[in-house]
Amino acid sequence: MEFWLVTNNEKVNDAYADKCDVLFVDGTDRDVMKTIRDLVHEGHSLLTHPLSGSLKPGETPFRSVLVDKSKNETVDPFSLDLIETCIQALQKFRVRYEGLSERKLEDFRHVDLSIIESAIPTAMADRTRVVGVDRNGA
Amino acid sequence: MKKFRVVHYINQFFAQIGGEDMAHVPPEKREGVVGPGIAIQAALGDEAEIVATVICGDSYFGENMGKAEAEVLELIKSENPDIFIAGPAFNAGRYGVAAGTITSAVKRELGIPAVTGMYVENPGAEMYKDDVYIISTTNSAAGVRAAAPLMAKLALKLAKDEPIGASKEEGYLPNNVRKNFFEEKRGSARAVEMLEAKLAGKPYTTEYPMPDFDRVEPNPPVADLSQITIALVTSGGIVPKGNPDHIESSSASKFGEYSLDGFDDLTAETHETAHGGYDPVYANADADRVLPVDVLREYEKAGKIGKLHDKFYTTVGNGTAVASAKGFAEEIAKRLLAEKVGAVILTST
Amino acid sequence: MRLELGNIDIKEIRFADKSEIKDGVLYVNQEEVIAQVLEDDLIRDAHLEIAVPGESVRITPVKDVIQPRVKVEGPGGMFPGVISKVDTVGTGKTNVLRGMAVVTCGRIVGFQEGIIDMTGPGAEYTPFSELNNLVLVVEPEDGWKPHDYERAARVAGLKVATYIGELARDLTPDETVVYERANLRESFENYPDLPRVGYVLMLQTQGLLHDTYVYGVDAKQTLTTMISPTEIMDGAIVSGNCVSACDKNTTYHHQNNPVIEDLFKAHGKTLNFVGVIITNENVYLADKMRSSDWSAKLAEYLSLDGVIISQEGFGNPDTDLIMNCKKIEEKGIKTVIITDEYAGQDGKSQSLADADPLADAVITGGNANEVVILPPMERIIGTTDFVDKIAGGHDGSLREDGSIEAELQIITGSTNEMGFNKLSAR
Repeated sequence: MEFWLVTNNEKVNDAYADKCDVLFVDGTDRDVMKTIRDLVHEGHSLLTHPLSGSLKPGETPFRSVLVDKSKNETVDPFSLDLIETCIQALQKFRVRYEGLSERKLEDFRHVDLSIIESAIPTAMADRTRVVGVDRNGA
Repeated sequence: MKKFRVVHYINQFFAQIGGEDMAHVPPEKREGVVGPGIAIQAALGDEAEIVATVICGDSYFGENMGKAEAEVLELIKSENPDIFIAGPAFNAGRYGVAAGTITSAVKRELGIPAVTGMYVENPGAEMYKDDVYIISTTNSAAGVRAAAPLMAKLALKLAKDEPIGASKEEGYLPNNVRKNFFEEKRGSARAVEMLEAKLAGKPYTTEYPMPDFDRVEPNPPVADLSQITIALVTSGGIVPKGNPDHIESSSASKFGEYSLDGFDDLTAETHETAHGGYDPVYANADADRVLPVDVLREYEKAGKIGKLHDKFYTTVGNGTAVASAKGFAEEIAKRLLAEKVGAVILTST
Repeated sequence: MRLELGNIDIKEIRFADKSEIKDGVLYVNQEEVIAQVLEDDLIRDAHLEIAVPGESVRITPVKDVIQPRVKVEGPGGMFPGVISKVDTVGTGKTNVLRGMAVVTCGRIVGFQEGIIDMTGPGAEYTPFSELNNLVLVVEPEDGWKPHDYERAARVAGLKVATYIGELARDLTPDETVVYERANLRESFENYPDLPRVGYVLMLQTQGLLHDTYVYGVDAKQTLTTMISPTEIMDGAIVSGNCVSACDKNTTYHHQNNPVIEDLFKAHGKTLNFVGVIITNENVYLADKMRSSDWSAKLAEYLSLDGVIISQEGFGNPDTDLIMNCKKIEEKGIKTVIITDEYAGQDGKSQSLADADPLADAVITGGNANEVVILPPMERIIGTTDFVDKIAGGHDGSLREDGSIEAELQIITGSTNEMGFNKLSAR
C-alpha cells in the first residue's frame, strides 16, 4: 500500500526516510493532527489511529500517523469522524510537554517510534486499496 | 449559630390562589411558608428558615418573560436571602420553566445558592439542568415528600460550601458534569447485573449515556434548482406584524403558516420576530435577516430557483420542547409535501 | 476443565534469613531474591521493600503488580511461555498468596507513571493499598534501549513472584475455591434455559510500554481468539503495559479478573458463562476492524446471548471498544461495556474518544481527569522524580511539602476498566 508517514518525530523520520514516504511536520502534535485532517479533507483515509498509544494528549509531544496515499473521490466519513474526535480529545488535555529534558524527549521519541513501528510492516504488506471505508463497515 | 434565610418560590396553583383561571396573577410576596414550603421547612430543620414565599402566576411569568423575571428577582432580593429554593414544579411545564428561569437568575444575579426541583421530562429541566441544580422529582405533586429533603439537603450543602456529590448520590438531574463517587458494588458485578437486566428485557440505567445521536442523514443534493419550488421554514420566530396567532416567545406550543404572496422584501412595517431568546432589534428592522425572502425572490426572478413557495412556516425555538418541535416538523413536512415543495431552507437563530 | 485455587492468607511480610511461609507470615531472604534478579545483566541494582496497608508510604513509579501463585497439581507452571514452559495451564490445583502482591517499581523511561499510596485519600482509589506489598525496586544498567529495560523489569517481577509463590507449594490452603467449566456441548445441555454469556477481554497492544503477552506471545501479533478463564488465573496473560496507570490491567488484575470471577458467581444460577474471547487493541485501523470482526464472529459462533466487554487504556482503544460493541450488538447479541472516562478536570468534556448509540449499557470506572490531592508520605519507595511528568501530574504538581496535586489517572488501578473497583461517575 502506498502511504504517507506523517510525523513530527525526528527519530521516526531518521528511521523511515529512505524506506517510505515521510511527511515531516516541523511542529507540535496538534500541527500533525491538522496536517492529517487536511489530507482527510482531500479524500485520503487514515491507516492508523491518530491517538495511538495510551500516552495522553499533551503528555507526549510526538505523534506519527499513517495515511493512505490513494485518494477517494469523496471524503472518507470514517476517517473524518475519527480525526475530528481525536482533535477534540486532544484539545481537552493540557499541554504538559513544554520544557522537557532531552532525556525525556528522547524516550518519548522512542515510544512514538515503537508504536508506529508496530503498524508499518502491516501497512507495507497490506495490498488492499481502501476506497472509502464507511462507518458500517468499520 | 445564625439561621440561613431562605426565600421560596411557588406558582399560583401551589399557593392555592387557583388553577389555570388564576394563572395571570402578578408576582406577590408573603411572609413565611406557603403550601409546599411547609415540607421544605421541615426538611431544613433548625439550620435555615423560609422567611418569605414569592408567588407568581404561570401565565403572567410566561407572557412577560423579562419583566416578570425582574419583578420576582426584586421581591427575592428585598429579603436578603442566603438560600433560594423554587418549586418543586413536578411535570408542570410553565411552572418548571419559571422555576428554572428564576433559579438561574438568582444564582447569576444574587450569587447565592439556588436549587429547584422538577420531573425529568418537564421542559424546564432540559432548559436549565446544566445551569442549576434541579432535584429529580416524580411527575405529580405527591412526590413533594421525597423531593423536599433532597432539595433542603442540597441547598444547605451549597450554603455551607460543602462538596457536592455525584447526581446519583444527591438526587439532582444529571447535568453533563461528570463527577466521581463510590458505588456499593464493584464495576464487574454491576456489569453482570446490567447484562442480566438487558437480557431479560428489564429496565437498567447506563452509567454513561452516549452523547445525543439525533442525527439526520442528509438527502442527496437537489439536481436542478431551477426546476424546483423552495420553501422557507424558521425557528427564528418571524411572524406578520402583530403576531396574529400569538406564538409564544419561548416554549412555543404552536407554529404559524403565513402567506408570502406579494412580498418581495420583508420590512419593519410588515414583519417582526416573536422570539424571546435573542435581541430582536435587527430581526424586527429587517426580517429578511432571519427569513431571506428578498434574496430568494431575486433568485426566482433570475431563474436560479424554480419558485419560492408562497407560504412560510415559523415557530420559536427558544426553550421549545424537542417533542413539540418534532410534532410541528411532522405537520409542516406533510403540508410541504402536499404542495409539491422540492426543498426547504431551514433557518434558526 | 477444573481448577482449584487454594487461597493462603498472608497477613504479614518480614525479611529473614530463610524464605518461608509460616502461620500466614511470609519471611523473605532478600539476598536470595535479589541474586535471582541480578542474574539479568540489564539490571544494575535491585532491592526489596515492604509496604503495609495503613502505613505512610508512597510507592512510585509502579510498573506492575503481581500476585504470587504456584502450580501444585496439573500441567504447566506459573506464567507459561515467560517463566514456565508453554504447556497449557488452567487445570489441577494452584496455590494463591492472598492479601499480598509483588510490586515492581523503577525507571524504564524518563517519564513514568503509577502511584500506590498505602494510606490517605490516594489509598482509597487503588486496590493495592489493601495488600501487603513486597516491592521490588530495580535500577537498570545504562546504555540499553527502553525495550530491553521494560522486558528486564517485567521478567524480574514475574521471577520474584514465582519464587515467592514456590514457598506456598506444600502449604494447606486457608480456603479452596473450585472453578469448573464444562465443554460447550455439555454447558448448553446443563443449562438449556439460562442465557449464554461470554466475556470479551480487550488487551492493550500498541508497542513499547503498551504490550500484553499471552503464553509469552506479544498479543498484537495475534488474531482474536478464545482462552479458558482458568488459564488466565494461572498467569497465561501477563502485562507489559507501563503507561496509563489508572486504567492499565496489571498482571494482578489478569490473575484476579473481576469479570471472570463475577461471571463464575452467576454461572448456573442466572446465566451460563460460556467462555472468554481475547482480542487486541492495535494501532493499525485494519487490524482494529479485523480483530473486532473476529470478536463478533466468535461471539456468534458460540451462540452467545450476551457479552461483557472490558477495555484497557485510553484513546484509540475507545475505537476498538465501540467497534466490538457495535459489531456484536449487530449480531443480535446484547452487550455491556466497561470503560473509564476522560471528561476533563471540570467533568464537562466528552468522556470517550468514540461513541455509538448501540453502546447503551455502559459501566464506568470514573473520570480519570478528576483532581486529587495526595498528602506527603513519610516514606517513598522508588522516586518521585517522575511525578511532575506522569500522566495527570503537571508542572508544580509535586509541591514543596511533598504533597501531590494531580489527576486521578496518576494512581495505579484507580479507574480500572475490568470493573475491579467501586469507583464510578455520573
